Amino acid sequence: MTQQQMSIEANQLSFKYPGTDAYVFRNLIFQIQGAGFHSLFGPSGVGKTTLAKILSGQISTHTGHISTTNGQGRVLYSYNLERLPPWCSVEEHLKEVAPLSNQDKLQDLAHQFGLKPFLSSRFSQLSLGEQNRANLTRYLLQDFDLLIMDESLANVDERTKEHIILKTKEMFPTRSFLYISHNVLEVSKFCKHILVLRSPQKIPQAISVKGQDHRADSPIVKKDLERTMLEVVHAV
Amino acid sequence: MLCRRLYQFLIVYFVGLGLLFTMKYMAGLSDYVIPNPRELWDTGCVVFGRYLFDAIDTLFVAMIGHILSVCLATVVGIVGRLATWTGSFIKLAAYNIQAYPVVAVAPIIFILLGDGLSSRLLIASMICYFPLLLSFIGIFSEPVADVEHFYSATGQMTWYLEVKIRAFENMSKLTTVIVGSATLAMVGTIVAEFIAADAGVGHRIRIALYQSDLARILAALLLIGICTSLYLAILEWIGHLVQRSWGQPKTT
Repeated sequence: MTQQQMSIEANQLSFKYPGTDAYVFRNLIFQIQGAGFHSLFGPSGVGKTTLAKILSGQISTHTGHISTTNGQGRVLYSYNLERLPPWCSVEEHLKEVAPLSNQDKLQDLAHQFGLKPFLSSRFSQLSLGEQNRANLTRYLLQDFDLLIMDESLANVDERTKEHIILKTKEMFPTRSFLYISHNVLEVSKFCKHILVLRSPQKIPQAISVKGQDHRADSPIVKKDLERTMLEVVHAV
Repeated sequence: MLCRRLYQFLIVYFVGLGLLFTMKYMAGLSDYVIPNPRELWDTGCVVFGRYLFDAIDTLFVAMIGHILSVCLATVVGIVGRLATWTGSFIKLAAYNIQAYPVVAVAPIIFILLGDGLSSRLLIASMICYFPLLLSFIGIFSEPVADVEHFYSATGQMTWYLEVKIRAFENMSKLTTVIVGSATLAMVGTIVAEFIAADAGVGHRIRIALYQSDLARILAALLLIGICTSLYLAILEWIGHLVQRSWGQPKTT
């Protein structure tokens, strides 16, 4: 893991899927800097997942420039439909995939994320929310600079979700997270910056809104939160 | 499982036998063409022991041939799944070669290897190998993105893990294909024995054919059906055990 704090910078980024004429991104420009929670927000089909895949290197056929911490740093992309292998229990899998240096975090994360009662179960025996928590846990056990969480906490109840996000911020203060969600309240409340993606016909295609970056030790001001939510909604 | 397989076969067998006798008595065919039930029973009693030994012999050759095919198809399927030149070549070759009837090359095998065990084994393997290979290549080439993504993203993916994930994901398909190809292995062995081999129940059928002895052929068919049912039931049982053990938690 690099010591330098993560920054994501896109300049004149354009992309269209092979065999189509429609651009997903056209001359997209944005910059996200620093550790903590950042968000990608926008209506369905606007290209949030595509941008996440470009950032994680899964898509490389774009034009223009996009970089994370000057080309360094480890970017991981997690999404909510991922599954753990079926042949072992959740605990066995987590122990197997966690680097030696992070083995000690396993029990702590399992405790914080409410996974303890399910550790001995197989992935297929968990509810959707539990599955997503288990999936997120294994990513948090890796060494990374930026973790893209594409609806990674879908199907998790609001209270648990808040607890997980706050604990993640507390446990990983130097890491960056790109949180993809359709929930305007969530992104406004927990994220530092919200990158609102719009259709390629709109200029600019991405607008950055400052979020409330709520933490366990900083109470949320209702008025500020409402203002952020309005800004986000208007930006779309 | 075995009982179900057996009674299904026996129903089909006796329905077929019934149709044969119906045809015999309606068309007034002689016992030389279609033997009467009494003659069939007597022949069955006389040849049962010998034919049973031959049928078991055939079953063992089919089983060994089948196991060899499964092993070979697994290895070639693993290599064929690769998106490299070798992988593409293996896939293309498999698709082309499987279109060629193995029975047509069987005489060459007998000329080169003689009429012993090796020829029967090779033909049995070849007949069930290509359907297995095509299925295995298809299964091992198909990424299971939802499971594989994590390993690829974190750099923990190995070829062994990739194959394991895909095999687990398609276990019921693999079981079905292996069980299905077992019938082909049995068919392949009998065909080989029928063409030129000097042992096995297919060899007995060939002799009976030369003597126009339908009673012996029908007795052989009964034993072939019973042996095949037994083998398929064993394979289904193994597949069932494997699937059940993988689906259960180690501790609850």
